[in-house]
Amino acid sequence: MASALPVEINHMKEKGVVRVTWDDGHAGDYPRDYLRGYCPCALCQGHGGEVKFIDVEDARLAEIGAVGNYAIQFTWEDGHSTGIYTFDYLRSLCPCPQCRDSKDE
Amino acid sequence: METVSKDIVLEALKKVQDPEIHRDIVSLGMVKNLKVAGGKVAFTVELTTPACPLREKIHDDCKKALAGLSGVTALDISFGAQVRGSKSGAGQTDLLPTVKNVVLVAAGKGGVGKSTVAANLAVALKMHGASTGLLDADIYGPSIPIIMGVKAEPKKIAVDGGFKLEPPVAHGLPVMSIGFFLEPDQAVIWRGPMLGKALHQLMGDVHWGELDYLVVDMPPGTGDVQITFSQQLKVSGALLVATPQDVALADVVRAKTMFDKVMIPILGIVENMSYFICDGCGKSHEIFSRGGAERAAERFKIPFLGEIPITSSIREGGDKGMPILVRDPKSEISKVFLDIASKLAGQLSVASETARMAQSLKIISS
Repeated sequence: MASALPVEINHMKEKGVVRVTWDDGHAGDYPRDYLRGYCPCALCQGHGGEVKFIDVEDARLAEIGAVGNYAIQFTWEDGHSTGIYTFDYLRSLCPCPQCRDSKDE
Repeated sequence: METVSKDIVLEALKKVQDPEIHRDIVSLGMVKNLKVAGGKVAFTVELTTPACPLREKIHDDCKKALAGLSGVTALDISFGAQVRGSKSGAGQTDLLPTVKNVVLVAAGKGGVGKSTVAANLAVALKMHGASTGLLDADIYGPSIPIIMGVKAEPKKIAVDGGFKLEPPVAHGLPVMSIGFFLEPDQAVIWRGPMLGKALHQLMGDVHWGELDYLVVDMPPGTGDVQITFSQQLKVSGALLVATPQDVALADVVRAKTMFDKVMIPILGIVENMSYFICDGCGKSHEIFSRGGAERAAERFKIPFLGEIPITSSIREGGDKGMPILVRDPKSEISKVFLDIASKLAGQLSVASETARMAQSLKIISS
């Protein structure tokens, strides 16, 4: 089971970020390009290997949906929608300074 | 003489806990129709399932809680049941809005007796008094029509301005299977997207009616059908079926890992073909070893719901389309299934509380 669950996902259009708030109180602002770049789908990442950043210019988010009990699906304006971000994966991507620092250690 | 009031009775009943949910029966809203007249106290305890294994205990606990009150001269406790819903899944539209609980009977591998267990548990839940249906989601190897002894093309009926399929009823349970639409020797040779579509139709296009429980016989493994259920359907949880030997348990672990990953709660594990009682010598033989599933349950902290023996009567029941519970409801084997069904219903009541408490995910755009 995932350690933390998202309670709110807020696409803040003006700021160009998606704010994810978790049930342990944590929150992080994910820039859209960053989210798109780390799309976990096989089209973006191929099969196997480290997850890499795919640079997609001016990624625009069209829709956000929940998948079952365990993941979030982002649909982009160019029609790309195959990325299913499990809660654990989404949390591991959290770009807030606190999470970034702990990854660098 | 002191007079008792409703408030005093309710206050006293707050000391009685539901033994499975571990909360008091008053705050769970289980105390209904409370009447206090003079010293006469009467109420109904609305259980969360008619298959409740702990009715006696709750009855005794209520009596004890009220025994201390002065002024109570007569006590009349009756029992009812209102099954609570336990489905979760924020993302998807509910294909089965009239079904309160959806249980996936699953295993990491084939041949462990999922279909037999699913069919007999569905019949057992029905015998406990709950309205129950059975869905055969094993698209490639649908065996429920044979086990339940039903082979009828579902009829189209008009419902709410559209058409739905009316499921055939076998031994009192509405049953749906892809097998109803196939010739006996015909094979289903489909890739994933077709499977997903067929499953949608077997659920959404079927007029199930109001059901407390829908038992789903899953195909073996961790593939397309499982993904469809986890991504697109609201389910209550999964019941894992295992045989005792180590090599089978390895696949149980895989099934557990899959359900954990997609966050479908595991309601429990049962061990099938656990032992064989010889009709000649009466001795219990542990053909595939025994107790492996229970050890796995302990290791992973999954509720262990029971052991089902390997007997020719279960097999004959399946081959003749007459589950052992229907043919011989008083037999030892039937008792085993009834007991497991009670425990499963208990786990679903617990799941209903968790599902209610789980925070729903808000997706907004600002």
